[in-house]
Amino acid sequence: MTDRLDRWADPPLLVLASLAGGPKHGYAITQDVAQTMGVRLSAGTLYAVISRLESRGLIEPLESEDRRRPYRITGAGAQALAEQSQRMQQVAGVACARLQAQLGGAGA
Amino acid sequence: MSATPMPRPRGSWAGAVACGSLHLYPAAWRARYGDEVRALIEDSGADLRTIASLAWQAMLARIWPPRHLYDPPARMRASLATVAVTWTVLVGLAAVFASFTQAQPWLLHNLTGPRHLVIQWSYWVLDAAVGASLLAVAAGGLPLWLRMLRRARRQRRRREIAWLLGPAVVPVVYLGVASVILSLGRSPGLVPIQPPFVRTTTSFINLANDNVGPWWLMALGFAAGLLAAAGPGLALQSLRPGGPGVTLAARAAGLAVAAMGLAGAASIVAAVALHTWGLAPYRQSGPFAVYLLLFLAAIAAAATSATRGIRAARLPAAA
Repeated sequence: MTDRLDRWADPPLLVLASLAGGPKHGYAITQDVAQTMGVRLSAGTLYAVISRLESRGLIEPLESEDRRRPYRITGAGAQALAEQSQRMQQVAGVACARLQAQLGGAGA
Repeated sequence: MSATPMPRPRGSWAGAVACGSLHLYPAAWRARYGDEVRALIEDSGADLRTIASLAWQAMLARIWPPRHLYDPPARMRASLATVAVTWTVLVGLAAVFASFTQAQPWLLHNLTGPRHLVIQWSYWVLDAAVGASLLAVAAGGLPLWLRMLRRARRQRRRREIAWLLGPAVVPVVYLGVASVILSLGRSPGLVPIQPPFVRTTTSFINLANDNVGPWWLMALGFAAGLLAAAGPGLALQSLRPGGPGVTLAARAAGLAVAAMGLAGAASIVAAVALHTWGLAPYRQSGPFAVYLLLFLAAIAAAATSATRGIRAARLPAAA
């Protein structure tokens, strides 16, 4: 069950959240996601996600002189991330409130 | 994905294999992201998980190619070439099925009446679907074929003209060769060559004659069909037509494949009904199982390719 709940850490969401902090190339994204969210994205998964997000117009590539091409989040990507974050926040709020009530009831 | 620290480089072999596994991706994907992934592997190192992840995602990228990497006209041409071949196989399989069952006077005589309504309806659906598929191919394929032929003639490209004439010439040659085989096979004293699932000395199959079994004509027919279908596919890759003609053909190919899917489903219903309620020769599962496997393989390839063509046709850059 824990593994299935881990799907909250959806790779596209993690990448969007990482790029919300500023443009980054592939390696910088994996470093940022690992350090701030504790999730290691493999090369295959990362570029599958980048390809999908790019095709949906949620991120866009920036010009680069070397092979490390940076990406930035688009307006549509920021909106999608905000909506999803809000939904997750609502769920987290409800879950925390109910857990607190249950723990409080059990303690009383 | 997991909550574990980043891997440290473990030597060059994993990195080399990981970079090599990029060749599993479609060419368009490699052209767009290949250098970036190589740079990432150089920076972060690679391990078995990296290799497995790249191999798995490469397979997914082949099944569902990213749409933004499409060169729509090229994708539609590739789709049309594949559909031409797979559709020919599907039509051939439907023809074989109908010849061995529906077209047999013996079967029609024994399986008429309300008792076998499922079989009768299946054949009606099969016939209608194959007819619709042929119409779709004619509506979408003929204008493009004529356009390519005119262009090849204008540019005096003999090889492309020969390829394009394949669908018209090869069937005629096939019919001629089949006629010769049949006339030679009429010599008295020859032992009939029958399908392996027919145990009786005299075949109930009335496709050829008493001396030449249908397998020879069938094998020759499939070879001729594939040859004829490959011609326009090669011409598409060589002449590289674009514009509304290719878009129309891609959409028509989708319709043609969908109709053949319906025809195949109807033939499977008929096959199951024949196997369940049919007379002795149709109670053997082997030939039906082979037919089913071949059909499923061909329709899967045709549907995948036709879907890619239609997706490309819907992109703004298609026209």
